[in-house]
Amino acid sequence: MIKLAPYLAYAKKCFLGRSAYRFDHLMNILSTCLQIFIFWGIYHALYGENTEVDGITLPMVATNFVLSMGLGAVFSTNDYFFPDKIHDGSIATELLRPISVPGRMIAENAGNALFNLIFRFTPALVLSILIIGISAPAGVGMFILFLISVLLGYGVLWAISFSVQMTAFWFVNVWSITTIKNVFINVLSGSMIPLWFMPGWMKGVLYLTPFSSIYFTPVQIYLGQLTYQEIALKCAVQGMWIILIYLAGDFLWKKGQKKLVVQGG
Amino acid sequence: MRDIMHLVGVYTKTTARSWFQYRVDALLRSLAVFLRESTGVIVIYFTLLKFDNLNGWNIHELLFLYSLLFLTYGIMIIFFTGLRDFGRMVRSGNFDRFILRPRGLLFQLIFANADWFAAVGHGGLGLVLFVISAGKVGVIWNFKTVVYYLFAIMGGVLIQGAVFLFLATLNIYLFETSSLKELFYYNMRKFAGYPISIFHRAVQIIIIYIMPFAFVNYFPAQYLLRKEDMEGYPQIFLYLTPVVGVGMYLLAYLFWKFSIKYYKSSGN
Repeated sequence: MIKLAPYLAYAKKCFLGRSAYRFDHLMNILSTCLQIFIFWGIYHALYGENTEVDGITLPMVATNFVLSMGLGAVFSTNDYFFPDKIHDGSIATELLRPISVPGRMIAENAGNALFNLIFRFTPALVLSILIIGISAPAGVGMFILFLISVLLGYGVLWAISFSVQMTAFWFVNVWSITTIKNVFINVLSGSMIPLWFMPGWMKGVLYLTPFSSIYFTPVQIYLGQLTYQEIALKCAVQGMWIILIYLAGDFLWKKGQKKLVVQGG
Repeated sequence: MRDIMHLVGVYTKTTARSWFQYRVDALLRSLAVFLRESTGVIVIYFTLLKFDNLNGWNIHELLFLYSLLFLTYGIMIIFFTGLRDFGRMVRSGNFDRFILRPRGLLFQLIFANADWFAAVGHGGLGLVLFVISAGKVGVIWNFKTVVYYLFAIMGGVLIQGAVFLFLATLNIYLFETSSLKELFYYNMRKFAGYPISIFHRAVQIIIIYIMPFAFVNYFPAQYLLRKEDMEGYPQIFLYLTPVVGVGMYLLAYLFWKFSIKYYKSSGN
C-alpha cells in the first residue's frame, strides 16, 4: 500500500505557496478572460447574421472557448519540474527519498490545479458567463460524465508533459522542445479553434493524435453531442492515450536514471 | 560620431556572438519562437478555410495585418532588449556597472544587448507573412506606398520602443513591473492581430488611445488596403503612425531623463 500522506503534504505546500502572490493572480485571471474575449469577438464577427454554421451555434462556440481555455488555466503541469532538477543535480537527492518522483510531480500539479480551479477558473467562468454567456450542460448525467472526462483529459495533458520532460536527460535545452509541444497542444486541442471547424483531412489527422482528448472530448460531452456509446468509446480512447504516453515516458525515465551522472557534491 | 559607430559595431558583434555561441541551440530556440508566434496565424488560417472572411478581411489581408506586428517587434527587440530586461538588471545591481562607463546610459542599454532569438523568430515570421501576402492584397507598390510603408514600420518600432522605455523607467520607482508589461503590452498585442473593428468599443478605445497598437498595424494596413470597416474611424488616423511613434518616444525619453536622476541602487 502506497502511503499518501507525503504526497498530500506536497500538494498542500504547493497550494499554499501559490496563495502568496496575489497580484500575479489577478493578472492571470485577466489574461484568461482576455483570451476568451478575443476569440469570442472573432467568432461573433465570423458568424455575423448566421445563427448556426454546420449545426454549431454561437453559444456552443462560446462554451467551447470558455471551457477549454478555463480548463487550460486549471490544468497545471510544471513543464520544467524534471528538467530543472536534472540540470541542477537535485534529482539525485530526489531519488534518495522514499517517494516516487513522478508521484511528487503529480501531487504538486494537483495542488496547483486545485488552486487554479478555485481562484482562476471560477472567477474567469463567472466573468465569462456574465459577459458572453455559455450553454448550460446537457443534463445532470452528462455533467457527471463531463467531469470524469475532464479528469481523463488532464491525465492526457499530464502524460504528454511528463514524457516530453524526460528528454531533459539527453538534451540540455528543453525549452525549445517544450515550446514546440505547447504550440501543437494550442493548435490541435480545440482551445483556439473549435475542432468542428477543422477541414476534413485535419479531422482525420486529429483522430490519430492525443490532442483532441484533452479539452474537446469533455466539451462535446458537456454539450450533449455524444451518445452514451460514443462517450464510452471516447473516454476509453482518453484512457488509452494516458497509458500509452505514460508508458513511453516511464521507459525514458528508467533509461534516463541509468544514464544519469550528477557532477559535484 | 565615428567612435560611437565603432562602439555600436563592437557591441553588435559581441552580442550576436554570445547569442549564437551554440549554433544548433540558437537555431532551435529561434525556430521555437517562430512557431510559438505562428500559433495565432495557423489558427486564423484554419478558421478562414471555414469562414472565408473576418469582417471583410480575407486571409491574405489578415496575414498582411499580422506581418506588420511581427516585423516591427522583430526590429524593435534588436534595440530594446536592454529595456525589456531593465527590471532584472536593476534588481541584480548590474545596472550600476553601466553608470560607471563613459557613455550615455540609454545608449548602452540600447546597444549592449539584443535578443537575437526573438529578433529572428518574430522578424522572420513577419518577413515570411509579408512575402506571402504583399503580392496578393492588391497593393500597388510604387514610390509613394513604399515610403509610406517604411515610415509606418519606423513609427511602429518607435511606438513599441516607447512603451518598453516607459515601463523600464517605472522600474526606478516600482520594484516589479513585469505584470504591468504582461497586462498592457503582451495581452493587448493579442487583440492587435485582428481587425480591431470586430471588438467591443472599450477594447478599441484602449488599443487606439491608451496602448496604441492600432497605429502599429491596423491603420497602416488600412491605408494600403482600404477596407470598409475604416469608416468607423477618422481618416487622419491613416497618417498618424510616425507622429504617434515620435511623440510617444519623446515623452518616454523625457520621463526617463527626469527619472534617472532618482535612481537608487538596490545592489551592493
